[in-house]
Amino acid sequence: MPDITVRDLVIEYNSGGYAVRPIDGLNLDIKTGELVLLLGASGCGKTTLLSTMASLLTPTSGTIQVGDIEVTALSGKAKTLYRRDSVGIVFQAFNLIPSLTARENVMVPLRSAGRSRKEARDRADEVLESVALGERGHHRPGNLSGGQQQRVAIARALAMNPPLVAADEPTAHLDYIQVDGVIRILRELAAPGRAVIVATHDERLLPLADQVVELTPRAAPESRDPETVELAPGQVLFHQGDQGDLVYIVESGQVEILLEKADGGEELLNVIGPGGYFGELAPMFGLRRSATARAGDQPVVATGMTIRDFRARQAKSS
Amino acid sequence: MFVTTARDLQFRWRRFLVAVLVTALVFGIALTFDGVNRAIKKEPGRLVDAFAADVWVVGEGASGPFTTSEVIPAATAAALNGAEGVEQADPIVVSRTTLNLDELEDVNLIGYVPGGLGTPDVVEGRNAEGPGEAVIGSGVPLEVGDTFELGDKEMEVVGQADGLRFFFGVSTILVPLADVQDVVFGGQPLAMAVAVLGEPENVPQGFKVLGNEDAETDLKRTTESGTSTINFVSLLLWLITAGIIGSVIFLAAIERIRDFAVLGAIGAPKREIVGSLVLEAVFLSTLAAVIAIPLAFIVALGLPFPAEITVIAILRLFGVAVVVGLLASLAGVRRALTTDPALAFGGA
Repeated sequence: MPDITVRDLVIEYNSGGYAVRPIDGLNLDIKTGELVLLLGASGCGKTTLLSTMASLLTPTSGTIQVGDIEVTALSGKAKTLYRRDSVGIVFQAFNLIPSLTARENVMVPLRSAGRSRKEARDRADEVLESVALGERGHHRPGNLSGGQQQRVAIARALAMNPPLVAADEPTAHLDYIQVDGVIRILRELAAPGRAVIVATHDERLLPLADQVVELTPRAAPESRDPETVELAPGQVLFHQGDQGDLVYIVESGQVEILLEKADGGEELLNVIGPGGYFGELAPMFGLRRSATARAGDQPVVATGMTIRDFRARQAKSS
Repeated sequence: MFVTTARDLQFRWRRFLVAVLVTALVFGIALTFDGVNRAIKKEPGRLVDAFAADVWVVGEGASGPFTTSEVIPAATAAALNGAEGVEQADPIVVSRTTLNLDELEDVNLIGYVPGGLGTPDVVEGRNAEGPGEAVIGSGVPLEVGDTFELGDKEMEVVGQADGLRFFFGVSTILVPLADVQDVVFGGQPLAMAVAVLGEPENVPQGFKVLGNEDAETDLKRTTESGTSTINFVSLLLWLITAGIIGSVIFLAAIERIRDFAVLGAIGAPKREIVGSLVLEAVFLSTLAAVIAIPLAFIVALGLPFPAEITVIAILRLFGVAVVVGLLASLAGVRRALTTDPALAFGGA
């Protein structure tokens, strides 16, 4: 099984009229047999990245290559075939069809691929057996525990023996006993010929991973010397969606705080003059910048500092 | 696709059962109405055929032998008998009356010459042979041997014939011409038309000849508004069934949005997802049609009109059921087609 490469991936979408860019210039190399964790807090883009790798979302720019398939170049029916044959998806909420039995759920992708009923049934039994649910094939999802449902979902993902398994928060709805079984299966799945990518914020999975991709902006450094920035009129200090470490205090000039809209326009939120500050939320909560900061029509001088220094300064001034 | 459809039907069987029963009832009523319409439309042809005449001689201003109020001398028949091209000519009178039984019963009244043209085929008893005797058609609440009052005359039912309803299912009594002339014309020797076997080459001035087709068309006109109304109501009933099935399928589709997204996400082609919904709607609709057949016969028993539920009507019902199913699935199909597979990645 060939490797997976992600190059300069940018994913931007419209959220309530504003442009949100959870993935901005991501590069990633995954080797066959690897278990890769996409780690990060809610909203950091884990599921978005997973959806894009599964060809459910189209990125703004960049490429994803799974073996010899350029996923980002697929369209229409080719996408459907790629999802059916090359990706096994394990969803956060299991997402089994409630009216079908466990075995029938596993048979769905097989039947869609044109396998005969008998072939599909035999293969479904085989994969259910591999997740230790051979005896539960005739049960409906409603009669299975959360862990069992997730194992059926894994079996469904494996039905076509895909080279890529993408799991979205596979432990989110499970108690610690059920988590154990699911984690073990996911680890075993990552074997030669197959890569497993797991989006999670569950750090219990960390020891199992061959590679961890941190999607949450790194924590701002606690100590760092304040830095002075000088901006020419109209120069951008940071863009909406950038990672941010520092809080800025305006020394001179005026800084415009803008929301970038999905249609390319912008909305002026605030104008910060001398003595005012901005950009404190991103370093404080480990978020991306929620707006763009740009110098007004005059040169700007501002001082950037860590949250700790900023707090100390505020305490001193009060 | 078939398994997904069958399992979903099993999974939501209570809701589908209610929908099927309600739809079956509406289908049944529609089928009964269709039967009524068919019977009403056939009435004129059957009545005209019952007289076994080739043509009708009526007054010049009359539109037909069964609807006219223009009277002619009964002797016109005698004048025609023996005329060139005429084998037999008998006068008739068509009128309406009420029978004062337990309730007032409206009936058509036909006066004919016993043994002449228009003598009905009796299925019970015998034909009228002289004054005071009557033959009843289907639906008259009397039996052979019963008596009833016609004007100031007491009549005895001596025979019963099949059918002979007209003017929208109204039953008919047939009595000798002389009795009708007494009641309707105060004993004057008048008639409304002359049924003729053969083809008269000439008719006296002030008269005209109508063919059986003319007589039938004229009689059909009287029930046209009724049959049109039934057709319109039937159309509404078909639409209601489409609405019932459609809303159930649409609700099921809304509930299954996550399923559709998941199926799309795991690579199931859209035709499978859509096919499953369409199949479900057509199945429900067809099942309702099956149940509707006995229901239609039961409903027909309670109607004051005759209903002719034919095999063709039943086959047509299945055709309509399939069309209704297809139409009903449209909204659900649209919902399924517009479901983004990426929705499958949402949380619980």
